[in-house]
Amino acid sequence: MAAISVDELTKEYGTVTALDRVSLTVEEGEIFGFLGPNGAGKSTFINMLLDFVRPTEGTARIFGYDCQEEGVDARGRLGVIPEGYSVFDRLTGRKHVEYAIRSKDADADPVELLDRVGLREAADRKASEYSTGMKQRMVLAMALAGEPDLLLLDEPTTGLDPNGAAKMRRLLRNENERGATIFFSSHILEQVEAVCDRVGILQRGELVAVDTIEGLRESMGGGTKLAITPDELTNGAVQSVRTVEGVDDVQVLDGPTLEVTCANDVKMDVLLELYNAGVEIVNLRTEEASLEDMFVAYTRGSQA
Amino acid sequence: MTWRVVTRRDIAETVRPRSVKLLLALPALVILGGAYLYPVLGSEPYTTARFAGFISGWLPTVVALAGILLGYNAVVGKRESGAIRLALSLPNSRLDVAFGAFASRAGLLCGVIAGSLAAGFVLVVYPFGSVAVVRFLGFAVATVTLGALWVGLGLATSLVAATKRTAFILAFGLFGLFRLAWGPLSRALEVGLAESGLTGEEPVAAAALRAVEPGRVFERVVDAFVDPSASVDNVWYLNEWLALCLFVVWLVVPLGLATSRFIGSDLS
Repeated sequence: MAAISVDELTKEYGTVTALDRVSLTVEEGEIFGFLGPNGAGKSTFINMLLDFVRPTEGTARIFGYDCQEEGVDARGRLGVIPEGYSVFDRLTGRKHVEYAIRSKDADADPVELLDRVGLREAADRKASEYSTGMKQRMVLAMALAGEPDLLLLDEPTTGLDPNGAAKMRRLLRNENERGATIFFSSHILEQVEAVCDRVGILQRGELVAVDTIEGLRESMGGGTKLAITPDELTNGAVQSVRTVEGVDDVQVLDGPTLEVTCANDVKMDVLLELYNAGVEIVNLRTEEASLEDMFVAYTRGSQA
Repeated sequence: MTWRVVTRRDIAETVRPRSVKLLLALPALVILGGAYLYPVLGSEPYTTARFAGFISGWLPTVVALAGILLGYNAVVGKRESGAIRLALSLPNSRLDVAFGAFASRAGLLCGVIAGSLAAGFVLVVYPFGSVAVVRFLGFAVATVTLGALWVGLGLATSLVAATKRTAFILAFGLFGLFRLAWGPLSRALEVGLAESGLTGEEPVAAAALRAVEPGRVFERVVDAFVDPSASVDNVWYLNEWLALCLFVVWLVVPLGLATSRFIGSDLS
């Protein structure tokens, strides 16, 4: 049975369409990354799975349970980090996790769960005094209570330092090996890339792509980013770089700096083109394209 | 049904702040103070049944204030902060969240009222008073119900409002309307109707309207069923059974409507 199956899910707020006929199936055991810039509708989508928000049209099911009609049963299979939550003001971390365990009617040790996310020492402090990262880890501990079949995580690495984010990824992989399906949203590609089997990209409420990361990279032409600082820049030079085959996107930033998103094997072509145009290169950096760059490239490509 | 889990969490959270303790002390002080003063200020015979009549005039306002203040922030505060998202991410239904909050807040207030009445009972009986256990129990049930009723009205505003500010305005609007403005307003209506010549000397509509207010309903229930020295007038809108029905209606209907609205709404 599919962990998540969503059919033509639509949410309209007045005349604004927050989510437009999104259909998606996430199979049991998958790690699925849900990508998109802020405001693309990722949280609206997850909020409908959690029944915070009712769809205007369409249906969403979790392990066969209708998220609206059988929300309690659906959420009984879930561990959740919701968007825009806050902790209960006067409760300790331990009380929070106990609350999750009792609500799920599970048999688990709150301290052991807090230990897994590195909060054993802070278990008896008020959660409202935790840092953002600690709160996020505490809610993860709540999510892990009762060994859920599906972890539904809205921007789970928010507020975590790189170390914490890496730990979170390890934990998610372990949960996945245990058999849990993982669905999480993020706007940071690197994090998604590190753990996901498949990725969906959401833009302005529409699901514009569902594929593996490699598949996406290929369809976007490689996805390397060159940050080039020239001595000075002419319009002609920018135009000629744009014409190089394999270049997806060229952005001119202050500095001036030229950001070129292109396929891996055309990097030299780009530099040559600039050289031919008489531009002297002062500095050069290459990096993996961030989601934003790929996203810009992808959506431009799809509009063309 | 996980409302008990919600209730347990809500109580753990609610009893901590000093403001809540002060709020709960209010009805306790009035009841105990009343019990202490009743043998001094009241008239013979001193019975626990007549004590009910002695104190039932003050209680509606005090209990209403405590109830509305306990109720109005119960859900909307968590909705505004986002803590409700944690609760509703778990396998709790919105009904669990609403009823759990009601059970917690009403339980606290009703517990305090019941405890204070029990202590007051002793103060009244000792050393000169006499005991009327059944009537006093009746009074305790009525007062506890009044507490639950006002927590329910407060909670109803908490369930329909999207912000604490709105809930606060609604809640105090209800308190002001029922406890402060209702009498003058219905009297003004009465005078207006009489002056206009549309009705007779005693416009029934205005008098009946005045009698609908929860505090007056409570007083009539106490007068009719508890206090042997009081009785209710023999007109249909002051009938004791109607009062009892209205009492239940006030307890159930506003909270029920607000809960169904809360269940059907988007949490934005």
